Amino acid sequence: MNNKFVMDPAAGVATRVVPVRGRVVKSKWAHSLLTFLMVFGPGLIVMVADNDAGAVSTYSQAGAQYGIHLLWIVLLLLPATYFIQEMVVRLGIATGKGHAAMIYQRFGRWWGLFSLIDLELVNFLTLVTEFAAIDLALNKMGVDPRLGVPLVAAGLVLMAVTGSYRRWERIVVFLCMLDLAWFLIAYRMHPAVGQIVRGSLIPEMPQGGLTPELMFLVIAIVGTTVAPWQLFFQQSCIADKRLRFADLKWARLDTFLGACITITVAGCMMIAGNASHVHGFTFTDPAQMAVDIGTFTNGFFRNAILLMMINAAVLGTTAISLSSAWAYGEVRGWPHSLQLPMRQAPGFYVVYLASVAAAAGLVLIPRAPLQLIILGVQVLAGVMLPSAIIFLQLLLNDKELLGGYANKPWNNWVNWTIIIVLFILSLILAAQVAAPNLFPAASGGH
Amino acid sequence: MATMTNPIELNELAHHFVVVHPLDDVREEKVDTENLGPMAMTWSVRISLLSLRAYLVLMMLLVFYHVLDLAGLFGRHA
Repeated sequence: MNNKFVMDPAAGVATRVVPVRGRVVKSKWAHSLLTFLMVFGPGLIVMVADNDAGAVSTYSQAGAQYGIHLLWIVLLLLPATYFIQEMVVRLGIATGKGHAAMIYQRFGRWWGLFSLIDLELVNFLTLVTEFAAIDLALNKMGVDPRLGVPLVAAGLVLMAVTGSYRRWERIVVFLCMLDLAWFLIAYRMHPAVGQIVRGSLIPEMPQGGLTPELMFLVIAIVGTTVAPWQLFFQQSCIADKRLRFADLKWARLDTFLGACITITVAGCMMIAGNASHVHGFTFTDPAQMAVDIGTFTNGFFRNAILLMMINAAVLGTTAISLSSAWAYGEVRGWPHSLQLPMRQAPGFYVVYLASVAAAAGLVLIPRAPLQLIILGVQVLAGVMLPSAIIFLQLLLNDKELLGGYANKPWNNWVNWTIIIVLFILSLILAAQVAAPNLFPAASGGH
Repeated sequence: MATMTNPIELNELAHHFVVVHPLDDVREEKVDTENLGPMAMTWSVRISLLSLRAYLVLMMLLVFYHVLDLAGLFGRHA
């Protein structure tokens, strides 16, 4: 049996059949827990990596400019992000293939190519923002970015090229757990709990009304919370991990826990931004915010926020680069799996490496308006999201493909609501940009 | 807790629970997507997708314009 090879449709390569290796446990409870721990990973990673450097910038800017008045939007995005990713989980488990492969196979080459170009474009721009954030944070920590950025890039490459999905996943899950430090940071800001509960549960418009700046920020929040790369990443990740039909409920739980963590961490970032504003600082970027916060707390929290920025960027970079590499490999029919060594999947690893290297190289451009670029990329992701969700929606209603795993009517109702809201937001932005005189000017009062 | 590698031994322990990591398990048969071919789409769906594509291109251009505007390239922002 050890010498037998079979074709792995997900990885696109012949792999060796290995005997089943399992663990025997005596209680049902232990069985459930261990099964969950084995399935756990893709859902947590996709959600926590979604709180990438751009998210740190966007949420902390939202907190600095509008206090906790936009917390309710973040909370509202919890079910949205979960329901969208849950569809991806079903699609990944049922087909055992990535999202790009599915679009190519079911919509044809033309639409597949468009989706791939959209993905690769936004992914690349997002990767630039990840390294821009690393550059900013290293600068504030007194580390020369010309040394630090290549070192981080090298680390990112090394963690993916070991030829073991499990090794990569363990490293990334560990980094995800570090993200919980945001709770400590938020706690140290001495937030007013009553105000936070009110800001989270009661929708209210910040002072100044619906200005173009507010609309831009709201779309950026949506774009950073539910990003197109997440659809591609989680489905490919599930295919690479070879999750089974029986794993569906645990994969859903993994995704739900990840969504809860990412939303509460986002709230913590807003609280940090709000604290810097309350102490009279004007927000420019999250690295400067960390320095500002350090003046009324201590050096530990200054460095903690800077390190969390780098951690967020590293998580975002590995997930986004992998979503690009998986998608490209699926479309080109190349072997594409973290389980494969470099010599067996050279194209897959070259795309990953090139994504990381090109983005790392570009951030050394001096005097670029990094915060604006970061926010702009999140907005771009926000306006492209409805298109990505519509393809997902069509695939999930494909009974021929999914049978009993296809969407139920309530799934469709939720998804169309999300799509319509996103369209309305992007149309308001379009109107504000095209005819700014129709809308009140930014008052600056928050 | 014990590690098992032999399926025969596992069958003897029917009253116990066996947990197998997805990467260690036998490959599961999935939906055969290769032979399904492209999805049947009505003209209205095709036109909707084309409209969506046009809308997306317009929105991307608009976002780029707005970012450049906010960066002060058109002289309206500091």
